[in-house]
Amino acid sequence: MLDPKLVSDLVARYMRDTGLPVPAPKEALYRWAKPLRLPREGPRYLYTGGLYQLMPYIQAMVKYLERMEEGRAGRLALGLAGRLAGLGGLAKAVARPDKGLVAYSESVLRGIAGHLRRAGVGYAYLYEDDLYSGVILHDLGLDEDFARHASMVYRRLRERGVESVITVDPHTTHMLRSIYPKYVDGYSLEVRTYIELLDEAGYQAKSSGEVVIHDPCLYARFEGVVEQPRRLLSRSGVEAKEPRRSRRMTYCCGGPIEGLAPSLSKRIARIRMDELRRVSSRIVVMCPICYANLSSVAPEGVEVVDLALVLGEPGA
Amino acid sequence: MPSPLDRVRSALLDEGLQEALLRAATNNQVKVEALLRERPELTEAARRARRAKEEAIARLEELIDEAMMSLRAINAEPHYAETPEEAREAVARIVGSGKLVVMSKSMAAEEAGIREYLEELGNEVWETDLGQLLVQLEDGRPMHTIAPAVHMTRERALRLVNEKLGANLPEDAGIEEIAGAARRFLREKIVKADVGISGANALAADTGAIVLVENEGNIRLVTTTPPIHIAVVPVDKIVPTLQDALTVAIAQAGYAGLYPPTYINMIAGPSSTADIELVRVWGAQGPRELHVVLLDNGRLKARETPLRDQLRCIRCGRCQFECPVWIHTANNWGGPVYGGPMGLNWTAITWSMEEASRLAFLCLGCGRCDEACPVEIPLSRLIRWLKTQAHRPGRS
Repeated sequence: MLDPKLVSDLVARYMRDTGLPVPAPKEALYRWAKPLRLPREGPRYLYTGGLYQLMPYIQAMVKYLERMEEGRAGRLALGLAGRLAGLGGLAKAVARPDKGLVAYSESVLRGIAGHLRRAGVGYAYLYEDDLYSGVILHDLGLDEDFARHASMVYRRLRERGVESVITVDPHTTHMLRSIYPKYVDGYSLEVRTYIELLDEAGYQAKSSGEVVIHDPCLYARFEGVVEQPRRLLSRSGVEAKEPRRSRRMTYCCGGPIEGLAPSLSKRIARIRMDELRRVSSRIVVMCPICYANLSSVAPEGVEVVDLALVLGEPGA
Repeated sequence: MPSPLDRVRSALLDEGLQEALLRAATNNQVKVEALLRERPELTEAARRARRAKEEAIARLEELIDEAMMSLRAINAEPHYAETPEEAREAVARIVGSGKLVVMSKSMAAEEAGIREYLEELGNEVWETDLGQLLVQLEDGRPMHTIAPAVHMTRERALRLVNEKLGANLPEDAGIEEIAGAARRFLREKIVKADVGISGANALAADTGAIVLVENEGNIRLVTTTPPIHIAVVPVDKIVPTLQDALTVAIAQAGYAGLYPPTYINMIAGPSSTADIELVRVWGAQGPRELHVVLLDNGRLKARETPLRDQLRCIRCGRCQFECPVWIHTANNWGGPVYGGPMGLNWTAITWSMEEASRLAFLCLGCGRCDEACPVEIPLSRLIRWLKTQAHRPGRS
């Protein structure tokens, strides 16, 4: 178990210095969109908030911290580095994120972009203004840093003329829709998830097969995104099955405490995995954290896959 | 004493505990879900309980005064304790030393350390709730609000009653036989006891009546057999009316998955008789003295913080059974008395903000507890607030 204060200090410092919670290149957030040449101005803006793109870097950081945590020397170095200076080793470790995970995240985002286009939802992309939402600061209780960061993100969006955003993951959606208004003065943005917009547009993708739905906690319990993905799947020819604990009583993947208590986090993921795979060997997720945590405990023959990809591969 | 995080670590390594908790939690989840589906009146009771509790929290000082007056009016003796120490002293003054004391499970008594203190003073003290007795025998702490021995297997319970109570049961003795051995042992103690100590699910300010829910029947015995009954009641259990107190009891039983509860006890004063010449005398078949020790221990002050919402908790323990983290730790994740989602907040209120705020970082923020809570306490939001307290200057 890592010291929460240490992790908080580390994250807060990276956030203050770079606007990102981990050492990652800034273009990592919008690299996925380069081949798509999306418009830069439009009625709505796709705001990813970077969670999908940062997931591979966060995973690399967690693995590094875990290794440090194991040895006494590592712990001392970690403590010292956390207090004093930048972590050279950490920066190097995180600079080499898992390539498969990077490709996965980018394909999900390209998939979402394609679905929106095919559904006739007009939108532009923010590119270098697609900033990280700061959700980790909020989760760690670092309220002052979070308020500062949220105000900065909001200012940048408004400077760009943004009044309405499309979000792609539950954590970013929850931040922009329900949490930012409590921290940012005069906040006013329309925030819709791509799932809600596709559902309202009556979007019908071409797909087939059977899946079990893993509702993300924040969508199901805080943001009212419950029936929309079910309707989308069913319209697209996918049979969506329910685990024992679903909809508002869905069960967490364990991901949020992965960085602080990896073994506990894995135990929670295994409980959920056992419950899901009993229903179907194809598990549909809607959040990069759920994806990372559940796929890390998926046995042979069980596939964890994002809703955007279940609805059809990008370019399809 | 192991550090709070060490307790979590050892819990994760204890495979027996992991198995026991998973089974208990799954059973409870399924049971409560079915109950709430079949009996919409329980959801309605929870809604009414919430309203009553909110009113009580808003008028708490006034209701404390009213409850004390009502208690005096029914010939019970109220005692007010601001701290656990004061509660212990109040109980000790009534009990004295060299007495036999029986207790029914009370988290407030646990919070005030009453059993240990009475033992130090040279009293013989026994818990009568089977789970709590097992916890006493292993010198442990309750692992769930209503199921204190939720971490214990049949084998461990058998070993405890054999070793500590001299029960002499065979290795293959079943749970019924273990319960039977405890019953035989406790019966004798209860009959001879000088004092019975209980908690309360609710205390009605308008009448001074206390309401207690149970299934074992031990509360009936503990509160009626000995000549003196002491109820230790935290002030957040005070509600405006007797109707409210009964509503809270019904909602608590339902959301704990024990509905209908086998017994609901309502106690409004010591027992009395006026059968001879219509002259009322105190102490018939029930106790002749009833003392109610009201315990604050941080609750009034908590009203000025976001933790105010926690004060409407009716202690059903559903948030614990539904929490993905608690299912792997039980009350090892929490303070010395309370654990799990509601327990972190109660630890912050009654024990240590520093300890609670550190442990809060293990919360997933998944909000399952919010959904489970009958009185809609925004548990996950309060726990996140605890995290913000860990970053305040002066906390290491």
